[in-house]
Amino acid sequence: MATATITLSSDIQSDNLAFTKDKILYKAGTEQPLDQTTGLNKIIFTATTNIVLLDSSAAGVGKAAKVYIANKSTDASEYVVITINAQVVGRLYAGDWMFIPWSQSDAAGNIELAPSVATALPVEYMTIHEGLTPVSA
Amino acid sequence: MAITTATINILNDVTGTGFSFSDTSTLFKAGNETGLDTVISAAKTFTSTSAVDLVAVTGFTASAANKVYIANTGTDSTEYFTIGIESEEVGRLYGGDWMFIPWDADTDDDITITPSVATAMTAEYIVFS
Repeated sequence: MATATITLSSDIQSDNLAFTKDKILYKAGTEQPLDQTTGLNKIIFTATTNIVLLDSSAAGVGKAAKVYIANKSTDASEYVVITINAQVVGRLYAGDWMFIPWSQSDAAGNIELAPSVATALPVEYMTIHEGLTPVSA
Repeated sequence: MAITTATINILNDVTGTGFSFSDTSTLFKAGNETGLDTVISAAKTFTSTSAVDLVAVTGFTASAANKVYIANTGTDSTEYFTIGIESEEVGRLYGGDWMFIPWDADTDDDITITPSVATAMTAEYIVFS
């Protein structure tokens, strides 16, 4: 079974924050584990063009896919803009990562990415899911 | 400087040759290496299936490097929160699920939440900004 664990710690407040939460990744509405994955991918972007990183598919609509995306740049000024169906989620700056449920609300619910620079910005990503619709050749 | 770190560990044994990895991020302000210095932490219990704002953009700097953690504290695998930004659905947090996102808090980019049932579902969230 796939699991995802987050550990957050912060000394912003005088009483420090620290906790860990883990979760087995289940299919939508069940306790059956997600059983498919893209594996971990890496792309080095050399253009600032907005691209489809993960294509929404009919098999995934309303499901419980999980997505991890990380900006592996080491330059603090470099970021990627993450959008879903043209709605900006946020900016992943160098070293940032995100982990989201992705229910692919409809066929337009693609996850897109736009690098801020064209100078070899590395991004890693992975989805663990319960179905993708194969693209016909 | 305040130091906030977020670490994810993923065990992916979906494939025959499973693997695991860990990734730690120190949360900085946009474009520099100054730590985020504001935190809001809360829990809310919902007793209606109406869509409402969980975190509104009011008071946050736009185009910033805010980060948001949201968790469904429930244990029922059939009950979920639908999380959105403005009018776009991001995904569903089923019982025990959590998410961690960058949030630029631009105009109208409120984070919305919609419970699937009206029987006392609780969400916890933390905003670092």
